[in-house]
Amino acid sequence: MNLFQSLVVGLFVVLAVFTVSAGMRGAVRKRIVAFWLSVWLAGSVAVIWPHSTAVIAHALGIGRGADLVLYSSVLVMCVAFFYVYTRFRRLDRQLTLLVRKLAIQNAHDAAGQPNPSSPPSEHQ
Amino acid sequence: MGATGRWMSVTGQPGPTSATGAQALVRRPRATIVIAAYNEAESIAEVVRELIEIYPHVIVVDDGSEDDTAQRARAAGASVLTHLINRGQGAALQTGVSYALARGAEIIVTFDADGQHDVADLPELIAPIERGDAEISLGSRFLSRRERIPLVRRVVLRLAVLFMRVTSRVRLSDAHNGLRAFSRRAASGLDLKLDRMAHASEIVDQVAASGLPYVEVPVRVRYTDYSLKKGQKSTAALRVAFDYLMGRLIR
Repeated sequence: MNLFQSLVVGLFVVLAVFTVSAGMRGAVRKRIVAFWLSVWLAGSVAVIWPHSTAVIAHALGIGRGADLVLYSSVLVMCVAFFYVYTRFRRLDRQLTLLVRKLAIQNAHDAAGQPNPSSPPSEHQ
Repeated sequence: MGATGRWMSVTGQPGPTSATGAQALVRRPRATIVIAAYNEAESIAEVVRELIEIYPHVIVVDDGSEDDTAQRARAAGASVLTHLINRGQGAALQTGVSYALARGAEIIVTFDADGQHDVADLPELIAPIERGDAEISLGSRFLSRRERIPLVRRVVLRLAVLFMRVTSRVRLSDAHNGLRAFSRRAASGLDLKLDRMAHASEIVDQVAASGLPYVEVPVRVRYTDYSLKKGQKSTAALRVAFDYLMGRLIR
């Protein structure tokens, strides 16, 4: 292996270790661990045997191995972006529910109805 | 999720004159008004004062304003709820509706904070619900002929109506009017999850899915320099559509 290969593969190994340990701590779901491990593995294979990408590319009808790497990284980025986007929406939603709960609770307190879960009362 | 709501239109009926309308609203002041307000200090007091003369229960949801919207609304006599962080108009309306229901409201009206709606339209808006003809009453600026709507705004709103016809299969003449009335039953079924401006389409969806009878009622919209400045830019329509479609895609 030349210097570039050792550095990049070393980096992928470190990332894989982080990924597995995060999975074991339960911080990341198993599906996500598997996803990232396969990314690190595929990256390592492509760096150690550069011609392997050409073989797969030809099988898929893509001219060059480098193009295959480019296309698949764009795809991976899209998937990752979508995942982050859904996560963002979920957080956004939770924040709204929290803000709403506080607003209603404070209003009930101010109106002298300390218990918002009590049955609804008619307006005076 | 078919659009099972019964379609009733009150087009063609000029409706009672404003004098009889005013009498009707003096007799039955039982609607609760919900206003979502974000940095509306300039207009909110006037809007609340006009409403509260006739409808004593006005709830203003201050959506994390940086100006003194909340103080002015409170001084004008409204019950003020405060979103500690700005969450958008859809979120604020849902907060106001939930609170109104908890306080026992029988009819809930949503009203914009920028003064674009006319209090005189409320009796006719609420009447179908009071009569039991409908559970939901939606204001439409396109059913009344008197309107002077800026051209670009008119085109965008018409496109929005077509968009709703495709996505929700609901035929409305004006799907994006902030003036709406809900019976207690209909309001209880609302669960707005799109916090920003796409809530207008979401309301239409939920109205359609509920299968409750709804009507459209002609209302006036006053396009003032202030309301046009504060309101949505027509160019925001694409972002709103994106937000709406993503909301349907991702639960």
